[in-house]
Amino acid sequence: MAEAILEARGLRKSFGALVATDGVDLDLREGETHAIIGPNGAGKTTLISQLAGNLRPDAGSIRFSGGDVTRLSAPQRAKKGFARSFQITSIYRDFTALDNVALAVQAHAGHNFRFWRPARAEPALRDPARTVLEEVGLGARADVLAANLAHGEQRQLEVAMALATRPRLLLLDEPVAGMGLEESQRMVAFLSSLKGRHTMILVEHDMDAVFTLADRISVLVYGRIIASGAPQDVRANPEVRRAYLGEDA
Amino acid sequence: MNLILVFEQMLNGLQFGVMLFLMAAGLTLVFGIMNLVNLAHGSLYMVGAYLTVAAVQWTGSYPLGVLLGLIGTLVVGMLVEVIALRTLYERDHLDQVLATFGLILFFNELIAILWGRAALYTSLPTYLQGFIEIIPGSIYPVYRALVIGVGLLVGAVLWYVVAKTRLGMLIRAGASNRIMVAALGVNIRLLYTVVFGFGAALAGLAGLMAGPIYAVQPGMGELILIQVFVVIVIGGIGSIRGAFVGSLIVGMVDTLGRAFLKPLLGAFISPPAAEAAGPALASMLIYLLMALVLAVRPEGLFPAKSG
Amino acid sequence: MGARTLILAVCVLLLAAVPALATLLGQLYYIDLLRRVMIFAIAAASLNLILGYGGLVSFGHAAYLGVGAYSVGILAFYGVHNGWLQWAVAIAASALVALVIGAISVRTRGIYFIMITLAFTQMLYYLGVSVEEYGGDDGMRLKVKSQFSGLVDLDDPVAFYYLVLALLLVVIYLVHRLVNSRFGMVLRAAKSNEARSRAIGFSPYPYQLVAFVISGAICGLAGALLANQTSYIAPAFMDWTRSGEIMFMVILGGMGTAPGPALGAFALLIVEDLLAGWTQHWQIILGPLLVLCVLFFRRGLAGLLPGGARHG
Repeated sequence: MAEAILEARGLRKSFGALVATDGVDLDLREGETHAIIGPNGAGKTTLISQLAGNLRPDAGSIRFSGGDVTRLSAPQRAKKGFARSFQITSIYRDFTALDNVALAVQAHAGHNFRFWRPARAEPALRDPARTVLEEVGLGARADVLAANLAHGEQRQLEVAMALATRPRLLLLDEPVAGMGLEESQRMVAFLSSLKGRHTMILVEHDMDAVFTLADRISVLVYGRIIASGAPQDVRANPEVRRAYLGEDA
Repeated sequence: MNLILVFEQMLNGLQFGVMLFLMAAGLTLVFGIMNLVNLAHGSLYMVGAYLTVAAVQWTGSYPLGVLLGLIGTLVVGMLVEVIALRTLYERDHLDQVLATFGLILFFNELIAILWGRAALYTSLPTYLQGFIEIIPGSIYPVYRALVIGVGLLVGAVLWYVVAKTRLGMLIRAGASNRIMVAALGVNIRLLYTVVFGFGAALAGLAGLMAGPIYAVQPGMGELILIQVFVVIVIGGIGSIRGAFVGSLIVGMVDTLGRAFLKPLLGAFISPPAAEAAGPALASMLIYLLMALVLAVRPEGLFPAKSG
Repeated sequence: MGARTLILAVCVLLLAAVPALATLLGQLYYIDLLRRVMIFAIAAASLNLILGYGGLVSFGHAAYLGVGAYSVGILAFYGVHNGWLQWAVAIAASALVALVIGAISVRTRGIYFIMITLAFTQMLYYLGVSVEEYGGDDGMRLKVKSQFSGLVDLDDPVAFYYLVLALLLVVIYLVHRLVNSRFGMVLRAAKSNEARSRAIGFSPYPYQLVAFVISGAICGLAGALLANQTSYIAPAFMDWTRSGEIMFMVILGGMGTAPGPALGAFALLIVEDLLAGWTQHWQIILGPLLVLCVLFFRRGLAGLLPGGARHG
């Protein structure tokens, strides 16, 4: 069994009286795809936000590849190899698709206090960006304004931006949300192609996607992980069936 | 410096503070509820002052003039909301700032056309011209004491209305969930107009009370408006409590700074140097305070989501 | 691209022809007016860098106009008339003031940023009013204009005019290069979607702060020019309405576009000049005009040019 790349211990976050994350432990092995599922309001996005550094946990710790990252900001974690997609698509709407990805490349291309040379003429930024766009299937749409892309394409673009940062950990918050059947199948196929090459945490409602992609699943209910393990084990777990799938066991 | 002088200056600070509060309360309510940045709030202060001066002259009665001035400002405020500002609620802050900047130019010029650019002074009825002895050995103008009383009273009423009444509930709910309030059958447009008019009346009240103390002239609103911004930055936007505490802090610091900074500096540096640096530093004091608060608490002292 | 460049080139040529035309028609006033317009265009271009491309709504840009102007005035007051030195100090002092104000205000967002930049500018205004040594409220005269070792004579209205025109073009080009560089892309990205920027690893603060300082420095140069233009320096340079006007120039011209600020400065100041020639109460017309522009003319003048900005 490989060394854990991400170790979260006792993560706790509350908003006033509402405890959104209540002592969550999570371990991720290098190269695995770990899905987090749970009913609406279970605290999935809050958990992802703490892992990505957008929210500071009230208690607990996060270690990434051996180092403590609990107190690092989102940009600092991004520099260490975290990449995130949001539940509601978050892209640069007034830039072209290629600009979007080139910015992600630029974020990890070192020195950005360069004031003179046009960034759009730098092959070091544009070429890798183009490659990633091809990879996610948006090669032909490179010069389209991101706002004018279809919803599914925007989701793809967001994943492309995450990939362009050459991440060591992908945090995907409902990557197929709001997609049509065909789009969603294409996205799942694409994410499958990433399996093994990237370590991924996947928050998703679409159970087909989850059971296709996940190596392990954790079930989050009211801020606690009630079960964690291989997909078939989680599927068979009576507590999960009761709490999450809404069945009387 | 003797203690009685300090006490009097503290009362002056309180008096300036409550006037800042009347302005800040309206501004922060309108921002918290309608998400509108209204630079022209200072214009309503000016309108209140001018309408009252005119109404007092016209009726020959101070209380009647004050009443007409207040009602007039309320009406002007509601008109401005219906004609110009209503369309701005959905716009970004930049648009709101620019459009209300345009309104300021309009109001200042309109006032200048109607009343001229020279400063006007309000004459108070004799019963408000006297002095009272608040602590032994110190007399204080009745009028300024009245301003303090009115300001504190309005603050208490405001707190009660927002925190305890159905109207206040609607106001707070409207801030967080417009659609739901609308679904309850409340006419949200009317609610907004009323809230705006109410904020305008508060500004008008501050303006008409300022009349006998400061000069009534075009542009008077903006001078106080920027100080009110300092109040809001210090207190935290959207919160009545923050507006109140911020107002008192700014009122005190500004007044005491202007009164005592020069002699205080004189104790440490040469009198001519203190003579030069004192007023300069005193006029910058509240802004330096703002910088300090921001450095420590970027969200202000009482960051609030609503109410 | 072609038609747009052509129109802008014609505009520049027309500007270059103004001194000759004005002399020919005996209307020397227009040299003065357009020089003033161009100085404000420089100020507006500097604001456009942070407002149009950075999304930082600074309501305090008049501060740097004032700091630049007072730098020239105070040095001249002590007998230093060397223009190179004066203008270098103007730029450096403005940059320094912008660094201090920016360090505090850039951390805040939205309405806070607007109020804070406005408040700090008001503080500098009161500072100007309260320092009697330099004229206090009344301001101070600039008896001798900045001297450039005989290279340019600012007392020659035409030479001064061409200097300002050249500086305007340089500033516009500079801002253009800047916003398309790596640095500029980070700045614009943070305006477009800050959460996304942070998620891919950009912490916007240092970029925004540096942009704020550069913007202040350029505006300081405009201040130094303005002091020479009016031969007079007063706290009124830092009046908050001045900040509002500069901001309006950017919006009217089209924010986030290269020629926008210059177009906006031109339109606003010419309209002001025309209205002022017609009635002393011109602001009662200008005010509602501004409101109408905000409500119905969001694209700005640059948006009317062919190939106009696709800015939303």
